[in-house]
Amino acid sequence: MNPTARRILFSLAILCWSAVLLYFYSSGRINQYLVADFRPIAFAGGLGLAVLGLFNLLTAGQKADCGHDHCDEEDPHGHENGDMHPVTAFLLMMVPVVLSVAWTKDEYSAAALGRKGLYDAPAEMNAPFLSASIPALTLEEVQKSHRKTPDGFLEFSLMELFFSSGDREMQTLLDGLKVETEGRWMDEKVRNPHGTRKRLYRLFITCCAADSRAIPIVLEFGKTPPDFQENDWVRVSGTMRFPLEEGLIQPVLVVERAMAAEPPYEESFTRKKGF
Amino acid sequence: MSPDSQQDFALAFLSILFEGVPFILLGTLISGFIDIYLPAGTMDRFLPRNKYLAIFTAGLMGAVFPVCECAVVPVIRRLVKKGLPVSCGLTYMLAAPIVNPITALSTWKAFQGQGAAMMTSSRLLLGFLIAVAVGIIVSKLSLASVLKPKLVESLEKDQDAKLHHHPEHDEHDHSCCGHDHEHGHHDHHEPAADNRLVAALRSAMKDFVDVAVYFSIGVTITALFNTGIAPGASWLDSLAHQQVAAPAALMALAFVLSLCSTSDAFIAATLDKFSWGAKLAFLTFGPMMDVKLLFLYQTVLRKRFIFLLAIGLFFAIGGISIFWQHLLFQAK
Repeated sequence: MNPTARRILFSLAILCWSAVLLYFYSSGRINQYLVADFRPIAFAGGLGLAVLGLFNLLTAGQKADCGHDHCDEEDPHGHENGDMHPVTAFLLMMVPVVLSVAWTKDEYSAAALGRKGLYDAPAEMNAPFLSASIPALTLEEVQKSHRKTPDGFLEFSLMELFFSSGDREMQTLLDGLKVETEGRWMDEKVRNPHGTRKRLYRLFITCCAADSRAIPIVLEFGKTPPDFQENDWVRVSGTMRFPLEEGLIQPVLVVERAMAAEPPYEESFTRKKGF
Repeated sequence: MSPDSQQDFALAFLSILFEGVPFILLGTLISGFIDIYLPAGTMDRFLPRNKYLAIFTAGLMGAVFPVCECAVVPVIRRLVKKGLPVSCGLTYMLAAPIVNPITALSTWKAFQGQGAAMMTSSRLLLGFLIAVAVGIIVSKLSLASVLKPKLVESLEKDQDAKLHHHPEHDEHDHSCCGHDHEHGHHDHHEPAADNRLVAALRSAMKDFVDVAVYFSIGVTITALFNTGIAPGASWLDSLAHQQVAAPAALMALAFVLSLCSTSDAFIAATLDKFSWGAKLAFLTFGPMMDVKLLFLYQTVLRKRFIFLLAIGLFFAIGGISIFWQHLLFQAK
């Protein structure tokens, strides 16, 4: 392939990557992929790629002199000679990206969530850094630091409820407490013989969605649960319980009320500075 | 692939891609500008006369001249041909992709919340020590046992030619290592500044595409394993908590994935089932030995030497990573 055509091909591949980064950033969809501090870096990367791609596209036919003599035919130090055929390189860059953009729904399926801890009991979670985000609390502090809804439920984040089952003191504080929380709806596939249970989860992302972990609690309805779709956002209110099931303490919310909810701006829990 | 698997793959793939691409761009831009603007003899001038000090310094040169592993091999070939001692060249070649600010920054960012400072410092230190150790060993070997026969011949011819044409050169030579003091006379001329900017950005684009292709393959494989789609994902998971098998498996994975050192930390950080030591082995072994480097090394080194180097690196890095993990986590 002649050098000009190769430069045009590579410029187009780079511009395509740039467009994907800039689109996901500007549409806000990047929030489902990266934690907050990586998003501006991704945006800057998209802009940088746009400059690199455009510059090389516009100067593709221009002669340039690097200042080195390449008289040695065996010298692999050609500034533009790549490892593989340019078309192969172009396809390897483009195919996975194009397919991923076409396929993504900005969320994991139940099968992948199962792999990311959706059905793990809190005690089985191998993520000690997560528990560091939960401050030590007393009942007074709990009531002071959590907003109360007009009908008397204390608003809790799902992460607090999840980790409370691994902390005896928190269990004592929260057991029997009327709480409200929100998360994504998912089928309960374990310890659900009567079909009265569902699971509520949110993802915890350290850096990007690939390293995320599911943070779940069990929802007990005592009857057939309402008919939400998998991954719908749901706000639930009820009484917190910590039964011992198959040797593991489970965080179970006995639900009094469940309703569809708008997704929060930050759908996933993310790493915070300082831990 | 089922629709569920497609959406899982896509989410994992794009998230790692978005995270790693800015760092690849930063690395390749710097590499492109070094390639075009840095005169060939510049690095040579930094090295001390003492053989061991020169190897030690070469191990730190990546901090000043950051180059990823793809770019470093052609640079080393050129520098060795210009008289850089092979031991220093190999030390720089192995250390520079790890002991450089871009790799340090990307490792630190990728491991936020997972002991970033410890992982970054351990990676840099282990990379440096291994590279220096290889350099010292190579300094005891003959050129013929390390370099390709053609390159040795070429070096010998160059040496003869220099002695024939410039007998006075010996007076200026570093006796320990034969540094070339004709910086740029034979291989550098001054082009127009705007031409060089075009050349630098073309070089950066070429580097970016080279790295992006392997990154794309690596992220594809990682996303398939990460979401459990790839056959063998469960088997790989089963090795994750084994003290010896885990680092060995991740070093083998690093060898196959052929990732760039500027972005491999973003992959390693997602291997959440694996131990800290196994990730360290992945991050140190990968930039020194992988499928892509195997081919690049053959432009400079003998096959037998490459084979021995691969075996040596595998056992040394694996052993130290296991020991380091044991030391750190037993102490806690």
